[in-house]
Amino acid sequence: MMRMKTQIILAGVGGQGVLFSSRIFSELGLKLGLEVTGAETHGMSQRGGSVVAHIKIGGYQSPIVRGGTADILYSLDENEAYKNLHFLRQGGLCFVNMTDGGRFDKNIRDHLKKKDITFHAFDASGMAIELGSVMAANICLVGFSVGTGLVPFTYDDLKDVLQSISRKPDLERNLKIFDTGVDLGKKQ
Amino acid sequence: MSQHKDIRVLLGNVAIARGILEAGCHVITSYPGTPSSEIMPAAVAFKKEMGLDVYTEWSVNEKVAYDNALAASIAGKRSAVAMKQVGLNVAADSLMSSAYQGVVGGMLIVSCDDPGPHSSQTEQDSRFFAMFAKVPAYDPSTPQEAMAMIKDAYDLSETFQIPVIFRPTIRLSHGKQSVRLSPPDIIERPAKFEKDPGRWAATPRFRLHLHTKLNESLRQIQERFEKDERWNYEVGENSEANLGIITCSTSYTVLTDLLEELNLKDKVNILKIGTPYPLPHKKVVDFIGRHDKVLIIEETDVVIESQIIDKSKVLGRFTGHIPLQGELIPNVIYGILAKFFGEEGVADLEVKADDELAKLVQDLGLPVRRPTLCAGCPERAAFWAIRRALPEAIYTSDIGCYTLGLNLGAVDTVIDMGAGITLASGFYQAYHQDKNDVPIVATMGDSTFYHSGTSSLINAVYNNTRFILVLLDNEITAMTGMQPTPGIGITADGTEGRKIPLEELVKGCGIKWLRNIDPYDVKEMISLLKEAHAYTKSEDGGIAVIIARRGCVIRYPEALEGQEIKVEITDDCDGCRYCIDHFECPALHFDEENERAEIDRKLCVDCGVCINVCAQKAIVPVDEEGQ
Repeated sequence: MMRMKTQIILAGVGGQGVLFSSRIFSELGLKLGLEVTGAETHGMSQRGGSVVAHIKIGGYQSPIVRGGTADILYSLDENEAYKNLHFLRQGGLCFVNMTDGGRFDKNIRDHLKKKDITFHAFDASGMAIELGSVMAANICLVGFSVGTGLVPFTYDDLKDVLQSISRKPDLERNLKIFDTGVDLGKKQ
Repeated sequence: MSQHKDIRVLLGNVAIARGILEAGCHVITSYPGTPSSEIMPAAVAFKKEMGLDVYTEWSVNEKVAYDNALAASIAGKRSAVAMKQVGLNVAADSLMSSAYQGVVGGMLIVSCDDPGPHSSQTEQDSRFFAMFAKVPAYDPSTPQEAMAMIKDAYDLSETFQIPVIFRPTIRLSHGKQSVRLSPPDIIERPAKFEKDPGRWAATPRFRLHLHTKLNESLRQIQERFEKDERWNYEVGENSEANLGIITCSTSYTVLTDLLEELNLKDKVNILKIGTPYPLPHKKVVDFIGRHDKVLIIEETDVVIESQIIDKSKVLGRFTGHIPLQGELIPNVIYGILAKFFGEEGVADLEVKADDELAKLVQDLGLPVRRPTLCAGCPERAAFWAIRRALPEAIYTSDIGCYTLGLNLGAVDTVIDMGAGITLASGFYQAYHQDKNDVPIVATMGDSTFYHSGTSSLINAVYNNTRFILVLLDNEITAMTGMQPTPGIGITADGTEGRKIPLEELVKGCGIKWLRNIDPYDVKEMISLLKEAHAYTKSEDGGIAVIIARRGCVIRYPEALEGQEIKVEITDDCDGCRYCIDHFECPALHFDEENERAEIDRKLCVDCGVCINVCAQKAIVPVDEEGQ
């Protein structure tokens, strides 16, 4: 079950669906009856720049996460992952979308290990393209994290949320991509 | 949005729009600008959802928006005007005067601040405008509080017949929170203007009288704020604590989370201020009196701090305890607390940034993703042509997506809305005085021209200046999220307004040399610019205006249908990177392994403009039949 308080950072570049992921988690908070705050990037940065969303579930006041305190980082882009790692707390979780996880900088991986940060990388975009939409890599990545069993959200709750916020024509595909992500996560 | 009908997670600006409608507002006007742009579309969406008869208007600039809302309030209705903080500079003339004359129906001036700044020219604090104009200010901390405050602000506005400034910061505007919704108040207010020339057309003699009345209103408003417990209240009754913090806006929420996280809630008392002007001074003095030291954490400037008369126990920006610029993000406030608690011997907070990680990431030398014009943006094509046609010119420009013409070296100045033209005329006069005329090319977008281009252009024509003005008409206000302009004649709620073509305005300003072009036709545009330059130099010449018109590729993707020019990069590419560094299309990237440019098919829109860019002629149209 979900811990009372969870702070999540979602990173990517303009057009990767960071704001949709942010909606997944804010609706999840609502569904669980928890207070939700968060912050989004709008305006100039959306023109191809870095996009970061913060989500804080369960009794926070401020919309922004303090560096070194986030529980989970989801990054849809390798470079944006590096730039946002400083948000993670000791023992946090990191999920990165990249074609070859082995390419992630070794020194940084070692550093994360020292901080007990669990690191997972996989090709969510490739998987999402295979299943019909590169835009749904975010859903695949979230599904993957649920599959690992490390995150404090349940499969059923997230599936409900996806059902309620997906556009009708995308629903079936989104759920399939989510399930595929979950299965991959379970194999870790 | 969710299955819980009356609780939704809303963006701060959406919550503000909702609050305005719930308060029974009749007229809402706005000019777009980050971080305020989402208020108007949300107001339109809610009025449709709830079937409310509310007048919503995208105005052509902030002053115009202000005056239109003001008129509704003078006629007894409730109004709201929304803008970004620098928009209030444009509306300042109206604000200052209307503070004296006041309103009848409630009027809310929403001015969204941008500490950081994330998307603005300055970090100015709108609450100073409240002090300057002598109108009350509300400073909400959360979207939920904003919604509740708006109702009180309307009540105050009508009780004291005064416009009220409502100041969210960007973290509230673009923050999200689960908020509880209420049904809107339906207030019947037929427009009824009561003639009163001594007030509504006050001459200086009457103005002194109005100023006297305004000062009396402010005194009473201050008394109301002193008694108020909803927006100005103490948190934590730690009778042991001898330290206090006075705070407001999003900083209050950051502080709350930090004290919780650090387990220091019992070491300090907090006075939260929601109405920074006029400051509930007695309340503040009483709070300071009960503590040995009091820290003031407010964003963005010293509005509360400067109103405190006896500062002997006060720490803040005047004492170097708070940074004078930049946003008060959590780690900044953490540093402020570490210094404060350290100096006062209360707690020893380790400032433990992960320097090792920072260094490791820095060593990767990651590319900085600076904002850039989209693939296929017609403005990139226009800037390219300008750079090629007149490489020695001074390029004055303005505020919008096209500010990013900076990246192409075709923008030298960006000051404020309208200055693209006024700086061009000013530079002309400054050089002309020395008999040293230099080429000058001003660029301005369509929305900016409607906002504040005409008065600048009339002045430039009237005073015999000479330069080239390129109006980048992408038929939308693109940067702030695709708001319509008078050029396309669609109004805020989607109904049809009247179109005002740029051509008619430009001619009306006295321009004799005007040409239109599709900027995708780069060669033609270059020769047109040269022709324009010749006109500015000719005996009977003057200002030459080129309207470079092509719809925004994001807003009007269908405009390219049937005109696509699919390109490829041939083996003639010698890897010089010229196209990547100087044209900077996101669809062109460098293949480091093969040392040559490549096209990203996911991003490329087949505009074909880059064919003009490569000196090796290695970017060519795909020969579909030959393949």
